[in-house]
Amino acid sequence: MKIRNLFAAALAALSFAAVAQQPIKIGMSMPQTGALGGGGKAALLALQMWVEDVNAKGGLLGRKLQFIAYDDQTNPALVPGIYTKLLDVDKVDLLIAPYGTNVTAPIMPLVKQRDLLLMGNFSFDVNAQIKHDKWFNNAPWGAGALAWGGPFLDAGQKLGAKTIAIMAADAEFAQNLCTGARAIAKAKGLQFVYDQNYPPNSVDFSSIIRAVRAAKPDLVFICSYPAESAAIVRAVNELGVGPTVQMIGGGMVGLQFAPIMEALGPMLNGFVNYNSWVPEKTMANPAVTEFLKRYSVRAKAEKVDPLGYYLPPFNYAIGQMLEQAVTATKSIDSKVLAAYLHKTEMKTMVGNIRFDTVGEWSTPRVPQAQFRGIKGKDIEQFREAGKQVIIGPAALKTGDIIAPFDKARN
Amino acid sequence: MKRFLLGSSGVLALAASMPLVFQNEYFFFAGYVVLQLIVLATAWNILGGYAGYVNFGSGAFFAVGAYTAVALYKAFALPLGLQILAGAAAAGLLGFGVGMLTLRLRGIFFSIATIAVAIVLETVVLNWHYVGGAKGLPTLRPTETPFFASHTVYLFFVMAVIAVIAVGAARYVETSWIGRGLRAIRDNEGAAECSGVPTLKLKLGAATLSGALMGAAGAPYAQYLSFIEPTSAFSLNHAVNALAMPIIGGMGHWIGPVIGAVLLGTVQQVVTVTISSEINVLVVGVLLVVFVVAAPEGILGLFRRFFPRKK
Repeated sequence: MKIRNLFAAALAALSFAAVAQQPIKIGMSMPQTGALGGGGKAALLALQMWVEDVNAKGGLLGRKLQFIAYDDQTNPALVPGIYTKLLDVDKVDLLIAPYGTNVTAPIMPLVKQRDLLLMGNFSFDVNAQIKHDKWFNNAPWGAGALAWGGPFLDAGQKLGAKTIAIMAADAEFAQNLCTGARAIAKAKGLQFVYDQNYPPNSVDFSSIIRAVRAAKPDLVFICSYPAESAAIVRAVNELGVGPTVQMIGGGMVGLQFAPIMEALGPMLNGFVNYNSWVPEKTMANPAVTEFLKRYSVRAKAEKVDPLGYYLPPFNYAIGQMLEQAVTATKSIDSKVLAAYLHKTEMKTMVGNIRFDTVGEWSTPRVPQAQFRGIKGKDIEQFREAGKQVIIGPAALKTGDIIAPFDKARN
Repeated sequence: MKRFLLGSSGVLALAASMPLVFQNEYFFFAGYVVLQLIVLATAWNILGGYAGYVNFGSGAFFAVGAYTAVALYKAFALPLGLQILAGAAAAGLLGFGVGMLTLRLRGIFFSIATIAVAIVLETVVLNWHYVGGAKGLPTLRPTETPFFASHTVYLFFVMAVIAVIAVGAARYVETSWIGRGLRAIRDNEGAAECSGVPTLKLKLGAATLSGALMGAAGAPYAQYLSFIEPTSAFSLNHAVNALAMPIIGGMGHWIGPVIGAVLLGTVQQVVTVTISSEINVLVVGVLLVVFVVAAPEGILGLFRRFFPRKK
């Protein structure tokens, strides 16, 4: 009997040691090609840096981290298969969602069905209907689209704006964003003088810009995707949008990405646009500065977004949240981690974050910044403060809006 | 015919018994995609392979099936079987409309018109807010599926049934007078008309059947994905795959699209989780070019060349 007990204890010790040797597997898909590929690659690099940093410190719970990421090509149809493979073949312990809403939405029923923790990654309201209690989205806009347009329209109201033009891509993110902007504009009593959608991937905006100019709006709120954003900025620079326009921009995806900023250069002057992080004094903190310094070296070598302001700090922060939760609970169990994430304020390099009941930031924070003083096409100038002056929200404000737009352009 | 029925029953029995062998749900996700490709490729081949009318708008037929199913589920909570029938009917109707185009358009002009149809329909869906419009619509799967281990396994079996029906229909078309008529249209439509082949009737029938099968393939799409949005539903990838697979497998025989879909679909699934990049689209493109240049009759043609039938 004694020998049998001893044998069992030895076996248990051996198997414990074997588990301790096994890495903690973290899995995700990330758009590395397709529409969101540019941002996705930069975000992926940040997560890889987090994994390397943790492993350099000895891992989590005495186990190294193993990071498994597949390219979903920004194609929602591939995502269910990839996440099933991550869970059933690769046997990952923790899941991170891909960057973007369309590619995240197909995973939600899967994680709900299996009752798993999923860290969200800049998606929008994917949990609004499903209400999975183990979903935590690291996106600064929180639930609903009100946080996006608020600072832009507040600034517009202070300028005495009475009319607004809205142009939006006929695509998921842009439509959600403009829905929020419309609601705020309506609440502020602004008159809609132009409100049209355009087909996604449009390249010629001359007729739309002419129509907007003819409507003589005070504000122009644009909800567009990267290629369209670049085309709109070019069209506005070529044709002009009219002297009545006080502010233009708002929800233009892509104007946060270094390659587009570099390509457009001084054409960006005067545009006001949403962002997640800009190098202004109200957003500066040593951790982000140190991270971006290391990131820019790696980004250069790996030929991804050299600035990395929009997504990389937030992706690194996803890793930091997992690290904090796993270390504090000494567990990788979804239920335990989710309970911790719900009740605890998470300390990350992008700020302290609390999640609301649907797993979104309880205090959204979307800075609207005005491009100013951009000269030439040197990407390094965007690292300086004062090139993207935050005009709202008040807590982050670093300067007043320069208006009208024609004045700000110069 | 008996052999085909026996084979089909065997395939379905195999699909039904898969859960006993594979516990891993990933297999069923990947298998579903391959089966869906078989349906799309087979359906495309009925109009494109037999009649020679190249359809670039497969994504539209697929999406019409998917969105019809979603709309009916949202309105009346119809079960999946009825959703598939409705999706097939709607896409069949669209196929009939596209068939009418053949009255005026042939060759490349017909192909361009099918792309136009896809773009018009995508724009309609983008602005149809009841089914989510541009924002997309999440669709929750049932938590329990009677008789099946999971809803994924159930969807895999449903797609296997649709695939068997599609291949059966294609085989019937090919081996009957309809197939002979369609081949006559492909070779010389004017001569076929003069010889008494009811060309319009046959083209309309082929386009309707082809569309209906693509719609049936699209109907369970929203349940498979748990989400639907226009960009992926109308994706040009559907059209590229539907066209490439029969060309690679061989367009002259009903088994050609099946071979092409199994081969290419499996390669795509493997590439997605190994090389992990857009290379899987490149794989399709490169194989397409290689086969068009080196083996215009596809794998079947190669097989026949190296293993000719003894006379």
